[in-house]
Amino acid sequence: MAFSSAGSAIAAAWERCWFVPALPRPLAIVRILAGTVALALWWSWSADLNTWFGPDGLLPVGAVREWRSPWGMSILDLARSTVVVRGLYLAIGAALVCLTVGLATPLAAPLAAAGFASLLHRAPMLAGPADDCTAVLLWCLVVGRSGDDLSVDRRLAITRGSGTPQPGIRNRIALSLLLVHAAVIAGAALLAQLKADVWWDGSAAWLLSAGSAVPVQFATVFRRSEYLSDAVTHAIALFEGAFTLGVAVPALRRVTGWIGIVGWLLVGVVAGEPWWGAAMAVFAVAVLVNPPTIGRPSE
Amino acid sequence: MGRRWPDARRDRGAAPHAVTASAEHRAAPASDAVRGAVTLALAAYLLGLLLSIAANSSSGASALVRALHGRLFSPWMVPPWLDLGFDYGLTRGLPEDADHRLLVSGRGAAAPALEFPATGMTGQRAARWRRLARAVAVDDADPSGTSVLATGMAEGLFSRVGADDLEVVVSRDPFPERGTAPRSTPEKVSTVRLRRGPAGLQLIRTSDPEELAPLLRPAPPLEGKGR
Repeated sequence: MAFSSAGSAIAAAWERCWFVPALPRPLAIVRILAGTVALALWWSWSADLNTWFGPDGLLPVGAVREWRSPWGMSILDLARSTVVVRGLYLAIGAALVCLTVGLATPLAAPLAAAGFASLLHRAPMLAGPADDCTAVLLWCLVVGRSGDDLSVDRRLAITRGSGTPQPGIRNRIALSLLLVHAAVIAGAALLAQLKADVWWDGSAAWLLSAGSAVPVQFATVFRRSEYLSDAVTHAIALFEGAFTLGVAVPALRRVTGWIGIVGWLLVGVVAGEPWWGAAMAVFAVAVLVNPPTIGRPSE
Repeated sequence: MGRRWPDARRDRGAAPHAVTASAEHRAAPASDAVRGAVTLALAAYLLGLLLSIAANSSSGASALVRALHGRLFSPWMVPPWLDLGFDYGLTRGLPEDADHRLLVSGRGAAAPALEFPATGMTGQRAARWRRLARAVAVDDADPSGTSVLATGMAEGLFSRVGADDLEVVVSRDPFPERGTAPRSTPEKVSTVRLRRGPAGLQLIRTSDPEELAPLLRPAPPLEGKGR
């Protein structure tokens, strides 16, 4: 009997999590922010595009194929000339722009996600945490109908006399996937950190500040106070743990979202990975704007 | 506002764009078949997500996890770049976590040495070059001894430096002792000599490149002689 009621409770929770329709606006906000981060990361390849992928580039397709997973594939593998490399790169950028502004979103979203993944597969050794998280954000957007609000598509629909955006199950699935990934990424990062002594003895923040990627001279400050370096180290770990738990508890999501937006941006700066911090902040926005499910799923 | 979210006043504690119960019920219901299919797909994906984390950890993975993940999930999770471990330790305090850079110079060539990331390069662009340098060092330390990356980069490097005999050095900035100045002399992680000759490309791992034989260039073919 208890087993049966526990099963019913799990089934009901599953229904609430994935099948209660949601309006597209929260997903539209995520779309704009994720598209902006993706565009910034896409742009970071531009200056060295030919140096890496050109006909006499440093990363020829054959060498990369040997290096990467056998399941990896990229449309850029087919490019044999500078013009084609640049053309494909610009096409990926165009898909990302369309996604960000919400133009032809149902087509732009999968093209942007596939194009972004393709860019990363062309040179996986150049990809970092920000690229990983942004790829996940883009695929989550493919699931939902993020172009139904705050978009060019919406403006065009209004001129055609179409009604207000309707809630949909696809939007809920996309938002719930964003939440699951937000918790999983933060939790996995925390686990990875806790395996290393430096996250226990407090020196991690000091070591991170020594990297040339850190835009602020934290090292100068940390050199003056060991306690401060310890506090920042422990604060990062505590923040990641709290964020993971906060996402999992619906009643805490709103405050978790606000703390997450500020916290991830700061962690990104301290860690010398500001775009990773920005991508994680977009996940935090998804946590903030994700409405708690009210009532029962539609029957 | 009132029309779109009719219960907004009752729902002040919810997120700004919360869908209220009445708005939710306007949506078309999903059939049981659709829910079943979606549930199955979600369950498969979530299992794949957990296995990806377990299989892509820096701690390694069990043979069972590797087999399940590699055979059932990698084929469809790798292409969309979703086969991720999220193993973002940021730093483990190990020398490998320090900033790496790539220095390429022609042996005996007048051309200036190339450095990646170049001085003044910042942001994600510089981070990508640092990742490439680290990947070359890790690849070079691989016991299989293939040095896929350094070999693959050879042609591009020959043309950029303008020499057929190159020294490719990966160096890194060692972590400073806690409380001391953060910069010190970079240490060499790997040194590879690449040269192109009549026998094709040669890759030589060496701690002292001076000990190697000089590169012999073949004499230009004499027209009208021989055959």
